[in-house]
Amino acid sequence: MFRANDTASLPTVPINRIDPERYPPGHVGTHAAMLAVAHEALVRAGRDPAQPLHDCALIVGTSGFSYIAEAEFRRAAATGQTLSRLPIATPGVVIRQLAIALGIAGPVFCLSNACASSANALLVARDLILRRQVSCALVLGAENLSAIALSGFQSLLLLDTKGCRPFDATRRGLQLGEGMAALLLEPAGGDGGYSKQIRLCGGTNLCDPHHVTATNPNGDTMAHVMRAARAQAHGADIVAIKAHGAGSVDNDLAEANALRAVFGTRLPPITALKRCLGHTLAACGAVETVAFLACLDAGFIPATGGFEQVDPALAISPITQAQPAQTGVYLLNFFGFGGNFASLVIAHG
Amino acid sequence: MVERSCAYLHAVGALGPNADLDRSARVKLQSDPPARDLRELSKRTLGQTLRQASHFAMLAAVGARACLGRVNNLSPDTAIYLGTGLGEVRAIEALFKQVMPPGPGLAAPYDFINANNNMAGFYVARLAGLTTRNLTITEDAFSFEFALSLALADLAHDAIPAALVGGVDENSHPRASHLRRLPLRDDQIMGEGSAWLYLNREHRDALGKLWVETLAIPGASAAAWAQETAQFLSIHDIEDATLLPGYGLLPEEVAALLRSLPGLGYQPYLDYCGCYPTAAAFGIATIFDSAQVAGKLYLHINRSAGGSTMVIGLSTLAPATG
Repeated sequence: MFRANDTASLPTVPINRIDPERYPPGHVGTHAAMLAVAHEALVRAGRDPAQPLHDCALIVGTSGFSYIAEAEFRRAAATGQTLSRLPIATPGVVIRQLAIALGIAGPVFCLSNACASSANALLVARDLILRRQVSCALVLGAENLSAIALSGFQSLLLLDTKGCRPFDATRRGLQLGEGMAALLLEPAGGDGGYSKQIRLCGGTNLCDPHHVTATNPNGDTMAHVMRAARAQAHGADIVAIKAHGAGSVDNDLAEANALRAVFGTRLPPITALKRCLGHTLAACGAVETVAFLACLDAGFIPATGGFEQVDPALAISPITQAQPAQTGVYLLNFFGFGGNFASLVIAHG
Repeated sequence: MVERSCAYLHAVGALGPNADLDRSARVKLQSDPPARDLRELSKRTLGQTLRQASHFAMLAAVGARACLGRVNNLSPDTAIYLGTGLGEVRAIEALFKQVMPPGPGLAAPYDFINANNNMAGFYVARLAGLTTRNLTITEDAFSFEFALSLALADLAHDAIPAALVGGVDENSHPRASHLRRLPLRDDQIMGEGSAWLYLNREHRDALGKLWVETLAIPGASAAAWAQETAQFLSIHDIEDATLLPGYGLLPEEVAALLRSLPGLGYQPYLDYCGCYPTAAAFGIATIFDSAQVAGKLYLHINRSAGGSTMVIGLSTLAPATG
């Protein structure tokens, strides 16, 4: 089992992890974990996971499952096998096996748009349902920790050894996490028990071709995405915002500029989850949406872990204490490498 | 019954495995094509070498430019749908060598950035100045077909004014290593390519009209599959139709289908691009390498290991030359 501090050249950073005993890294553990979260979502929606989902889509937000190959290579190397002969599970193969296990007969594909992958998957799933192409859609975000991701972000000097501090004056970068989450989308007005409380009103995804990794600090495209998403709330006030809040110097600056540009002096309460969950990269659209909705279900808007000190350059103050959740519309932001930006508008209660 | 979405095709561009951007440069492959360095071609076609971009991103960008160069009045709100079955292969291989034992243990920054599958879409957007929806879609055998389906539905529902839909995959050497990701038969040449279609809702001046259909024919023998597929195709005017066989079809399936539908023409484009998951885009785009007469129907048919069959239909609408 790989651990972050096994490699001397990598820093020891806070990482939020999937229980490796239940779901060991590699093909079998990843498949089992994805199946487990999918089953949980189906059960919560009042469905029997043993029943096939004939008219359902499966859309997975993923960075490509290279962490599966990484784990298999480590396992093989430990047992002296020839690494160059090991088959590599491509995303299409991984999700096809998942679809077969779930009895899904509708469209099955992955979206790979960096940190906006799963959020985009939710928007595409919503479109498929509204256009009556499928009767429901299972959206899944999956990301396991990998030495390659850890090393890559370290090489970009984007890891914060003290953990993610979203929008904080002393923020230095990301805190990686790993996670999987699934959401079952059904047409509004259905009899799904849990889903009656939550409605994906809409959202927008746009591309900011400013730079491969650096966001345009003025936040113009982020603001454009948020405005377009907010318009789909049909005039309803935004109760609160789940910011992307990556904790990197530039990304948080751009998001803060965008938030002030869109909301001016009437900025709703802002929170960010990456100190608690870690940055789950391609999965964060699903993982953070599920976690945020779970907090709302429990009656509160979560506090922003890691935020203590206002950055004058940002001039925003995310909430540092949990606040009572209210019925209404929430805005959720997901901004990724390659300028893939998505904002979701979700009504709760 | 869901109404089938369709859209009008206004421009195509295709880059094959021999850095071939047009008909005159395309050659019938006799063996696996070597790894090509695309920097010179990038410089020539894009005006820059994309120094920090991966081979996969260059492949995507050059192919997309070939298509967009033929578009009049490109809408800045054109959405990008990039289908890829394998995504970044070479960049990930490089990262594995760097990070995994016995490598040095630290990733090179740009290799890490390039290993993100959406970087290719980023470069396409940046070079074309496109700032709206930009999706990278990955599936097993049908990445391009799903990308095209999403684009057609978005167009049909007025979500976007125009779509740039691509199928991009790169090969890697040696062949044994590539086959760990993409199982090919011994008789199949491993290929790569980047082919793009520019679509909108405007009938005027269109090259053709496109649609996509999924057929569920699981576990059938070649003869049974051909019979069911032929039954579906019989609703179309197949007297004028030409089959573009996808790389997932077995030779016996192609033969059985041609036996079932004697009037069906046959255009085996894979000889020119090799086999890769999104070769369908190359097959569709290179139809226009030769002059077309209006009213001809092309049917790209592919089958996945899971048993699904996807059909892309293209009716030519206006004479065009490559």
